[in-house]
Amino acid sequence: MSRALATLAATVIGVYWLVTFKVTPAPVDVPVAAAPSSRTTPAPGARATSTPTPVAPTAQGGTAFTGTTIETIWGPVQVRIAVAGGKIVDATALQLPSDRSRSARISQYSAPILRSEAIQAQSARVDIVSGATYTSRAYALSLDSALKHAQGQ
Amino acid sequence: MRRTEDVMGMPITIDVRDGDADLAPVYDELRRIDELFSTFKPDSEICRINDGRLALAVAGPEVHEVLALCDTYEARTGGFFSARRDGALDPSGLVKGWAIARAAAMLDARDHRSYFVDAGGDVQTRGSSGGSEPWRVGIRHPIERGSFVRVVLARDLAVATSGTYEKGPHILDPHTGRAATDLVSLTVIGRTILEADVLATAAFAMGHRAIDYLENIPGYEAYAIDPSLQATWTSGFDAWCERPAVGV
Repeated sequence: MSRALATLAATVIGVYWLVTFKVTPAPVDVPVAAAPSSRTTPAPGARATSTPTPVAPTAQGGTAFTGTTIETIWGPVQVRIAVAGGKIVDATALQLPSDRSRSARISQYSAPILRSEAIQAQSARVDIVSGATYTSRAYALSLDSALKHAQGQ
Repeated sequence: MRRTEDVMGMPITIDVRDGDADLAPVYDELRRIDELFSTFKPDSEICRINDGRLALAVAGPEVHEVLALCDTYEARTGGFFSARRDGALDPSGLVKGWAIARAAAMLDARDHRSYFVDAGGDVQTRGSSGGSEPWRVGIRHPIERGSFVRVVLARDLAVATSGTYEKGPHILDPHTGRAATDLVSLTVIGRTILEADVLATAAFAMGHRAIDYLENIPGYEAYAIDPSLQATWTSGFDAWCERPAVGV
Protein backbone atom coordinates (compact mmCIF):
# COMPACT_ATOMS: atom_id res chain seq x y z
CA MET A 1 0.00 0.00 0.00
CA SER A 2 2.10 2.82 -1.29
CA ARG A 3 0.22 5.56 0.45
CA ALA A 4 1.24 4.12 3.76
CA LEU A 5 4.83 4.91 3.02
CA ALA A 6 4.50 8.62 3.26
CA THR A 7 4.87 9.02 6.98
CA LEU A 8 7.93 6.93 7.39
CA ALA A 9 9.32 8.55 4.31
CA ALA A 10 9.00 11.89 6.00
CA THR A 11 10.86 10.56 8.98
CA VAL A 12 13.87 9.26 7.21
CA ILE A 13 14.26 12.09 4.76
CA GLY A 14 16.92 13.85 6.74
CA VAL A 15 18.94 10.73 7.24
CA TYR A 16 18.29 9.71 3.68
CA TRP A 17 20.17 12.70 2.44
CA LEU A 18 22.86 12.08 4.95
CA VAL A 19 23.37 8.52 3.75
CA THR A 20 23.16 9.54 0.14
CA PHE A 21 25.81 12.08 0.72
CA LYS A 22 28.11 9.92 2.76
CA VAL A 23 27.74 6.56 1.10
CA THR A 24 27.59 7.34 -2.56
CA PRO A 25 30.55 8.98 -4.19
CA ALA A 26 28.29 10.52 -6.81
CA PRO A 27 27.47 14.18 -6.31
CA VAL A 28 24.06 14.97 -4.99
CA ASP A 29 22.02 17.85 -6.28
CA VAL A 30 20.23 18.66 -3.10
CA PRO A 31 21.11 20.67 -0.08
CA VAL A 32 22.65 18.26 2.33
CA ALA A 33 20.92 18.63 5.61
CA ALA A 34 23.36 17.72 8.28
CA ALA A 35 21.86 15.64 11.02
CA PRO A 36 20.68 17.99 13.71
CA SER A 37 23.18 18.08 16.49
CA SER A 38 20.40 17.38 18.94
CA ARG A 39 20.33 13.85 17.61
CA THR A 40 23.62 13.16 19.26
CA THR A 41 22.53 14.51 22.58
CA PRO A 42 21.12 11.75 24.73
CA ALA A 43 17.62 12.28 25.93
CA PRO A 44 17.19 12.80 29.64
CA GLY A 45 16.93 9.39 31.18
CA ALA A 46 17.97 7.64 28.00
CA ARG A 47 21.13 5.64 27.78
CA ALA A 48 22.71 3.38 25.25
CA THR A 49 22.94 -0.21 26.37
CA SER A 50 24.56 -1.80 23.37
CA THR A 51 26.85 -0.90 20.57
CA PRO A 52 25.78 -1.04 16.93
CA THR A 53 25.75 -4.57 15.62
CA PRO A 54 27.92 -5.69 12.73
CA VAL A 55 26.88 -5.22 9.16
CA ALA A 56 24.51 -7.85 7.82
CA PRO A 57 23.04 -8.48 4.39
CA THR A 58 19.32 -7.90 3.97
CA ALA A 59 16.57 -9.57 2.04
CA GLN A 60 16.51 -6.55 -0.24
CA GLY A 61 20.08 -7.14 -1.23
CA GLY A 62 21.27 -4.10 0.65
CA THR A 63 23.35 -3.82 3.76
CA ALA A 64 21.78 -3.63 7.16
CA PHE A 65 22.96 -1.39 9.96
CA THR A 66 21.49 -1.80 13.37
CA GLY A 67 21.39 1.13 15.70
CA THR A 68 22.32 1.17 19.34
CA THR A 69 19.61 0.08 21.71
CA ILE A 70 18.46 3.13 23.61
CA GLU A 71 16.90 2.47 26.98
CA THR A 72 14.04 4.71 27.96
CA ILE A 73 12.01 4.52 31.09
CA TRP A 74 9.33 2.76 29.04
CA GLY A 75 11.65 0.23 27.51
CA PRO A 76 14.24 -0.21 24.78
CA VAL A 77 14.16 1.43 21.38
CA GLN A 78 16.25 0.08 18.54
CA VAL A 79 16.20 0.86 14.84
CA ARG A 80 17.65 -1.04 11.89
CA ILE A 81 18.13 0.41 8.46
CA ALA A 82 19.06 -1.22 5.16
CA VAL A 83 21.13 0.73 2.69
CA ALA A 84 21.43 -0.14 -1.00
CA GLY A 85 22.78 2.04 -3.74
CA GLY A 86 23.26 4.87 -1.30
CA LYS A 87 19.62 4.85 -0.24
CA ILE A 88 17.82 3.66 2.80
CA VAL A 89 15.65 0.91 1.38
CA ASP A 90 14.31 -0.38 4.66
CA ALA A 91 13.81 0.93 8.15
CA THR A 92 12.64 -1.27 10.94
CA ALA A 93 11.88 -0.65 14.56
CA LEU A 94 13.45 -3.73 16.11
CA GLN A 95 12.52 -2.80 19.62
CA LEU A 96 9.91 -0.44 20.94
CA PRO A 97 8.55 -0.01 24.44
CA SER A 98 5.33 -1.64 23.35
CA ASP A 99 7.29 -4.89 23.73
CA ARG A 100 6.36 -5.85 20.20
CA SER A 101 8.92 -5.79 17.49
CA ARG A 102 7.72 -4.24 14.30
CA SER A 103 9.13 -5.17 11.00
CA ALA A 104 6.90 -3.38 8.55
CA ARG A 105 9.15 -2.04 5.90
CA ILE A 106 9.35 0.78 3.48
CA SER A 107 11.24 -1.01 0.75
CA GLN A 108 11.41 0.30 -2.77
CA TYR A 109 10.10 3.76 -2.21
CA SER A 110 11.56 6.29 -4.55
CA ALA A 111 13.66 9.29 -3.79
CA PRO A 112 11.42 11.87 -5.50
CA ILE A 113 8.57 10.90 -3.25
CA LEU A 114 10.76 11.31 -0.23
CA ARG A 115 11.97 14.65 -1.36
CA SER A 116 8.66 16.35 -1.91
CA GLU A 117 7.02 14.77 1.07
CA ALA A 118 9.76 15.80 3.41
CA ILE A 119 9.81 19.35 2.23
CA GLN A 120 6.09 19.66 2.70
CA ALA A 121 6.19 18.03 6.07
CA GLN A 122 8.83 20.27 7.49
CA SER A 123 7.88 23.64 6.15
CA ALA A 124 4.25 23.77 7.13
CA ARG A 125 2.90 26.84 8.84
CA VAL A 126 0.04 25.94 11.12
CA ASP A 127 -2.39 27.63 13.48
CA ILE A 128 -2.89 24.60 15.68
CA VAL A 129 -0.91 21.44 16.43
CA SER A 130 -2.61 18.09 16.94
CA GLY A 131 -0.66 14.95 17.61
CA ALA A 132 1.51 12.72 19.66
CA THR A 133 5.22 12.36 20.07
CA TYR A 134 6.50 8.93 20.71
CA THR A 135 9.83 8.04 22.27
CA SER A 136 11.17 10.39 19.69
CA ARG A 137 14.58 11.14 21.10
CA ALA A 138 15.36 7.48 21.66
CA TYR A 139 14.26 6.60 18.15
CA ALA A 140 16.35 9.34 16.63
CA LEU A 141 19.36 8.33 18.71
CA SER A 142 19.20 4.73 17.56
CA LEU A 143 18.67 5.80 13.97
CA ASP A 144 21.61 8.15 14.23
CA SER A 145 23.75 5.33 15.55
CA ALA A 146 22.77 3.07 12.63
CA LEU A 147 23.61 5.85 10.20
CA LYS A 148 26.99 6.51 11.72
CA HIS A 149 27.68 2.84 11.37
CA ALA A 150 26.63 2.97 7.72
CA GLN A 151 28.86 5.97 7.07
CA GLY A 152 31.83 4.20 8.58
CA GLN A 153 31.72 1.40 6.04
CA MET B 1 -7.34 37.50 20.49
CA ARG B 2 -5.62 34.46 21.81
CA ARG B 3 -5.26 33.13 25.30
CA THR B 4 -3.91 29.98 26.91
CA GLU B 5 -4.57 28.74 30.42
CA ASP B 6 -3.80 25.44 32.08
CA VAL B 7 -7.02 23.69 32.98
CA MET B 8 -7.66 19.95 33.47
CA GLY B 9 -3.91 19.40 33.52
CA MET B 10 -3.37 20.65 29.99
CA PRO B 11 -2.96 23.91 28.14
CA ILE B 12 -6.24 25.12 26.70
CA THR B 13 -5.91 27.74 23.99
CA ILE B 14 -8.79 29.82 22.71
CA ASP B 15 -8.23 32.01 19.68
CA VAL B 16 -11.05 34.31 18.58
CA ARG B 17 -10.60 36.18 15.31
CA ASP B 18 -13.86 38.06 14.94
CA GLY B 19 -13.73 40.77 17.52
CA ASP B 20 -13.08 41.02 21.21
CA ALA B 21 -14.19 38.14 23.34
CA ASP B 22 -14.44 37.99 27.09
CA LEU B 23 -12.75 34.66 27.66
CA ALA B 24 -12.71 34.76 31.45
CA PRO B 25 -16.20 33.20 31.78
CA VAL B 26 -15.23 30.48 29.32
CA TYR B 27 -12.19 29.50 31.35
CA ASP B 28 -14.26 29.71 34.54
CA GLU B 29 -16.66 27.22 33.01
CA LEU B 30 -13.82 24.88 32.05
CA ARG B 31 -12.48 25.02 35.60
CA ARG B 32 -15.95 24.32 36.96
CA ILE B 33 -16.24 21.26 34.71
CA ASP B 34 -12.85 20.07 35.96
CA GLU B 35 -14.01 20.45 39.57
CA LEU B 36 -16.97 18.21 38.77
CA PHE B 37 -15.26 15.51 36.74
CA SER B 38 -11.60 15.37 37.70
CA THR B 39 -10.36 11.96 38.75
CA PHE B 40 -7.44 13.70 40.48
CA LYS B 41 -9.41 16.06 42.70
CA PRO B 42 -10.70 14.18 45.76
CA ASP B 43 -13.78 16.35 46.07
CA SER B 44 -14.95 16.09 42.47
CA GLU B 45 -18.30 14.40 42.03
CA ILE B 46 -16.62 11.56 40.18
CA CYS B 47 -14.16 10.89 43.02
CA ARG B 48 -16.90 11.14 45.61
CA ILE B 49 -19.00 8.64 43.66
CA ASN B 50 -16.03 6.30 43.37
CA ASP B 51 -15.20 6.32 47.05
CA GLY B 52 -18.82 6.03 48.14
CA ARG B 53 -19.32 9.52 49.51
CA LEU B 54 -21.84 10.45 46.83
CA ALA B 55 -24.64 8.24 45.59
CA LEU B 56 -24.82 8.20 41.82
CA ALA B 57 -28.56 8.80 42.03
CA VAL B 58 -28.05 12.19 43.68
CA ALA B 59 -25.13 13.32 41.55
CA GLY B 60 -25.65 16.46 39.49
CA PRO B 61 -27.40 16.57 36.13
CA GLU B 62 -24.16 17.18 34.24
CA VAL B 63 -22.63 14.03 35.65
CA HIS B 64 -25.68 12.12 34.55
CA GLU B 65 -25.54 13.70 31.12
CA VAL B 66 -21.88 12.78 30.66
CA LEU B 67 -22.33 9.24 31.95
CA ALA B 68 -25.32 8.75 29.64
CA LEU B 69 -23.17 9.90 26.72
CA CYS B 70 -20.44 7.50 27.82
CA ASP B 71 -22.94 4.63 27.82
CA THR B 72 -24.12 5.62 24.35
CA TYR B 73 -20.60 5.63 22.93
CA GLU B 74 -19.64 2.46 24.77
CA ALA B 75 -22.50 0.71 22.98
CA ARG B 76 -21.74 2.34 19.65
CA THR B 77 -18.06 1.39 19.74
CA GLY B 78 -18.62 -2.19 20.80
CA GLY B 79 -17.13 -1.46 24.21
CA PHE B 80 -13.89 0.04 22.94
CA PHE B 81 -14.82 3.31 24.58
CA SER B 82 -15.53 2.87 28.25
CA ALA B 83 -15.99 5.19 31.22
CA ARG B 84 -15.28 2.41 33.65
CA ARG B 85 -11.88 1.19 34.64
CA ASP B 86 -11.29 -1.44 37.30
CA GLY B 87 -14.84 -0.93 38.47
CA ALA B 88 -14.42 2.81 38.97
CA LEU B 89 -15.94 5.62 36.96
CA ASP B 90 -13.52 7.49 34.75
CA PRO B 91 -15.36 9.52 32.10
CA SER B 92 -12.33 11.70 31.34
CA GLY B 93 -12.08 10.22 27.84
CA LEU B 94 -15.31 11.98 27.02
CA VAL B 95 -15.20 14.97 29.35
CA LYS B 96 -12.42 16.68 27.45
CA GLY B 97 -14.37 16.77 24.19
CA TRP B 98 -17.53 17.64 26.08
CA ALA B 99 -15.78 20.55 27.77
CA ILE B 100 -14.37 21.85 24.48
CA ALA B 101 -17.88 21.67 23.03
CA ARG B 102 -19.17 23.62 26.03
CA ALA B 103 -16.61 26.34 25.52
CA ALA B 104 -17.43 26.48 21.81
CA ALA B 105 -21.14 26.76 22.58
CA MET B 106 -20.43 29.72 24.88
CA LEU B 107 -18.56 31.46 22.07
CA ASP B 108 -21.34 30.62 19.61
CA ALA B 109 -23.85 32.14 22.00
CA ARG B 110 -21.79 35.34 21.98
CA ASP B 111 -22.08 35.41 18.17
CA HIS B 112 -18.50 34.46 17.48
CA ARG B 113 -18.08 32.64 14.17
CA SER B 114 -14.31 32.59 13.79
CA TYR B 115 -12.43 30.85 16.58
CA PHE B 116 -10.92 27.66 17.85
CA VAL B 117 -10.79 25.94 21.21
CA ASP B 118 -7.75 23.68 21.59
CA ALA B 119 -7.36 21.44 24.63
CA GLY B 120 -4.07 19.62 24.56
CA GLY B 121 -4.11 19.04 20.82
CA ASP B 122 -7.81 18.28 20.46
CA VAL B 123 -9.52 21.18 18.78
CA GLN B 124 -12.86 22.48 17.65
CA THR B 125 -12.59 25.10 14.94
CA ARG B 126 -15.35 27.45 13.89
CA GLY B 127 -15.49 29.32 10.62
CA SER B 128 -12.26 30.54 9.14
CA SER B 129 -9.08 31.89 10.63
CA GLY B 130 -9.69 35.27 9.09
CA GLY B 131 -10.90 36.27 5.67
CA SER B 132 -11.62 33.08 3.79
CA GLU B 133 -8.62 31.18 5.11
CA PRO B 134 -9.26 27.86 6.82
CA TRP B 135 -7.66 27.02 10.12
CA ARG B 136 -4.48 25.10 9.49
CA VAL B 137 -4.17 22.17 11.87
CA GLY B 138 -0.85 20.36 11.70
CA ILE B 139 -0.77 16.69 12.60
CA ARG B 140 2.46 16.35 14.46
CA HIS B 141 5.12 14.06 13.15
CA PRO B 142 5.70 11.50 15.91
CA ILE B 143 9.48 11.69 15.69
CA GLU B 144 10.57 14.92 14.08
CA ARG B 145 9.73 17.72 16.42
CA GLY B 146 8.25 20.75 14.82
CA SER B 147 7.25 19.02 11.61
CA PHE B 148 3.93 17.66 10.47
CA VAL B 149 2.73 14.70 8.50
CA ARG B 150 -0.41 16.42 7.25
CA VAL B 151 -1.98 19.84 7.47
CA VAL B 152 -5.75 19.67 7.85
CA LEU B 153 -7.60 22.66 6.43
CA ALA B 154 -10.37 23.09 8.94
CA ARG B 155 -13.59 25.05 8.66
CA ASP B 156 -16.11 24.23 11.35
CA LEU B 157 -14.10 21.05 11.75
CA ALA B 158 -12.96 19.22 14.85
CA VAL B 159 -9.60 17.46 15.01
CA ALA B 160 -8.73 15.00 17.78
CA THR B 161 -5.57 12.95 18.14
CA SER B 162 -5.04 10.04 20.47
CA GLY B 163 -1.52 8.94 20.89
CA THR B 164 1.13 7.13 22.80
CA TYR B 165 2.60 10.29 24.11
CA GLU B 166 5.99 10.67 25.62
CA LYS B 167 4.74 9.45 28.94
CA GLY B 168 4.23 6.08 27.28
CA PRO B 169 1.19 3.98 26.46
CA HIS B 170 -1.83 5.22 28.37
CA ILE B 171 -4.92 4.18 26.45
CA LEU B 172 -6.21 0.86 27.66
CA ASP B 173 -8.14 -1.63 25.60
CA PRO B 174 -11.22 -2.06 27.80
CA HIS B 175 -11.56 -5.64 26.65
CA THR B 176 -8.11 -6.73 27.79
CA GLY B 177 -7.20 -4.07 30.36
CA ARG B 178 -3.86 -3.71 28.61
CA ALA B 179 -2.33 -0.69 26.98
CA ALA B 180 -3.16 -0.37 23.30
CA THR B 181 0.14 -0.44 21.41
CA ASP B 182 -0.70 -1.09 17.77
CA LEU B 183 -0.68 2.63 16.98
CA VAL B 184 1.36 5.59 18.12
CA SER B 185 -1.00 8.23 16.79
CA LEU B 186 -4.57 8.32 15.55
CA THR B 187 -6.17 11.51 14.32
CA VAL B 188 -9.92 11.74 13.75
CA ILE B 189 -11.59 14.69 12.05
CA GLY B 190 -15.26 15.50 11.77
CA ARG B 191 -17.97 17.93 12.71
CA THR B 192 -17.95 17.73 16.48
CA ILE B 193 -15.07 17.44 18.88
CA LEU B 194 -17.09 15.29 21.26
CA GLU B 195 -17.48 12.52 18.68
CA ALA B 196 -14.07 12.98 17.10
CA ASP B 197 -12.38 12.68 20.48
CA VAL B 198 -14.38 9.67 21.60
CA LEU B 199 -13.87 7.94 18.25
CA ALA B 200 -10.13 8.61 18.40
CA THR B 201 -9.91 7.07 21.86
CA ALA B 202 -12.05 4.06 20.99
CA ALA B 203 -10.44 3.33 17.64
CA PHE B 204 -6.95 3.77 19.10
CA ALA B 205 -7.77 0.86 21.39
CA MET B 206 -8.85 -1.15 18.32
CA GLY B 207 -5.30 -0.92 17.01
CA HIS B 208 -4.79 -2.08 13.46
CA ARG B 209 -8.53 -2.23 12.89
CA ALA B 210 -8.94 1.46 13.63
CA ILE B 211 -8.98 2.74 10.06
CA ASP B 212 -11.33 0.02 8.85
CA TYR B 213 -13.67 0.89 11.67
CA LEU B 214 -13.55 4.63 11.03
CA GLU B 215 -13.96 4.16 7.29
CA ASN B 216 -17.49 3.08 8.09
CA ILE B 217 -18.36 5.98 10.37
CA PRO B 218 -20.20 8.62 8.30
CA GLY B 219 -18.89 12.14 8.62
CA TYR B 220 -15.52 11.23 10.12
CA GLU B 221 -12.13 10.63 8.58
CA ALA B 222 -8.93 9.44 10.18
CA TYR B 223 -5.17 9.13 9.85
CA ALA B 224 -3.21 6.50 11.80
CA ILE B 225 0.51 6.01 12.42
CA ASP B 226 1.88 2.72 13.74
CA PRO B 227 5.09 2.18 15.75
CA SER B 228 7.20 1.55 12.67
CA LEU B 229 5.88 4.92 11.42
CA GLN B 230 3.71 3.51 8.69
CA ALA B 231 0.61 5.56 8.08
CA THR B 232 -2.82 4.50 6.93
CA TRP B 233 -5.85 6.69 6.48
CA THR B 234 -9.47 6.64 5.50
CA SER B 235 -10.42 7.20 1.89
CA GLY B 236 -11.80 10.69 2.44
CA PHE B 237 -9.04 12.02 4.65
CA ASP B 238 -6.86 13.62 2.02
CA ALA B 239 -9.73 15.75 0.78
CA TRP B 240 -9.43 17.71 4.03
CA CYS B 241 -5.69 18.18 3.80
CA GLU B 242 -3.53 20.82 2.24
CA ARG B 243 -2.35 18.45 -0.42
CA PRO B 244 -3.05 14.82 -1.23
CA ALA B 245 -0.54 12.29 -0.06
CA VAL B 246 2.34 11.92 -2.45
CA GLY B 247 2.68 8.46 -3.89
CA VAL B 248 -0.95 7.36 -3.91
